[in-house]
Amino acid sequence: MIESYENALQIAVLLVCVGIALVRAIAGRSRTWTLLSFFYGSWALGDIFWTVCLIFFGETPQISLVADLSWYASYIFLYLLLRHVAPPTSPLAQRLLPWLGPVFTAGMALFFMMRGEVFSNLIYAALMGLLLFSAIHRLVDGRRNIRQGFLCVLIIAFCLLEYGLWVSSCFWTDPEPLNPYYWFDLLLTVCFPFFLAATRRAVAS
Amino acid sequence: MSTIENIYICLAAPLLLAIVCLGRDWRRALSFLLAGMTACLMSAYVSSFISSALDTDLSAASHEIAPAVEEIMKFLPIVFYILVFEPGKKSVINGAFLVAVGFATFENVYFLTSYGAWELLRVLIRGFGTGAMHVSCGMVVAVGLFFLWDQVWLRVVGAFALLCFVITFHAIFNIFVNQPGVIFWVGSVLPLTMVLLYLLLFRGKINLS
Repeated sequence: MIESYENALQIAVLLVCVGIALVRAIAGRSRTWTLLSFFYGSWALGDIFWTVCLIFFGETPQISLVADLSWYASYIFLYLLLRHVAPPTSPLAQRLLPWLGPVFTAGMALFFMMRGEVFSNLIYAALMGLLLFSAIHRLVDGRRNIRQGFLCVLIIAFCLLEYGLWVSSCFWTDPEPLNPYYWFDLLLTVCFPFFLAATRRAVAS
Repeated sequence: MSTIENIYICLAAPLLLAIVCLGRDWRRALSFLLAGMTACLMSAYVSSFISSALDTDLSAASHEIAPAVEEIMKFLPIVFYILVFEPGKKSVINGAFLVAVGFATFENVYFLTSYGAWELLRVLIRGFGTGAMHVSCGMVVAVGLFFLWDQVWLRVVGAFALLCFVITFHAIFNIFVNQPGVIFWVGSVLPLTMVLLYLLLFRGKINLS
């Protein structure tokens, strides 16, 4: 039950964020805000699908591919957003630090593959690795201004919260409020509205 | 040969003749409609095959397999059109709409022949619910592609993400319309609301003429 409430809260927050981003996208015919709308919308659809399956069928989907597709899409839209508002200004392979992202996600993928599916974990690792790499790369790039840095920091925090969520779901499965899984999910919910502010700052820069 | 192929032949034949006879722009529009109908026929085969291969029940097939298969099949004619003819942005976007309309039309005709057409309310729900759902999925792809057209890599990555987006939307719709009571009505009205919102919000902003 607690999961349904928690998901409902996240869906509500996401729908408000979709609305705000969509209004800005339409008002300015802006690709940036359209991408952000699609990011929020994809995530919300994945959440809605998962929650609806839990409510109507009393179990998680038999084939989780549909919800996964939606979350893959949201990572792709987030990457496209980052690339659009902060295009890379130096060659990608020049620094070592950004490679920490893909190395971390590859390690985590191995950990998750020992416990679950191989294919979906590989895709998640690839997308998360790409997001972390791109965000860190832009952050360590000296020519980047601080307004764009906020979006990069937020994306890194978002990815780490996601990993916190996934790892906690491996060790804590009890549906009780003290379960760290719910806390990570709640932090993720809190994180979503900040993308609006971060995008606005990045656009303003 | 089962009924679905007979219906397909009956609907496709006049379209095919018109495609041969008409001028270039009309021919293209009707070809998209025909491609949508063909995609619908193919989806029926592929969905049935995957459902039996994975041994899923009817409910899971309806909200987990059919949406993915249908949206991918609907997208294939557009992919073919982009790769072979290298058309412009507006042409592709209009094409995505028309393929969706062709798909919805064929699906509705098959529904009517299977379940009858004597209940007006049921027919209205079918037409403005499921029909509008296919059109609204085409609309989301069209709006998304409009903003992501500039570079080839952006188009490819964006198209994949948009496809994932509409698959999930379609799946949620299928779950809702298979529930009784209020949920059914909410599900049925949702796509039409989206189409109306599109007309209100985007119509003046995206010039497809």
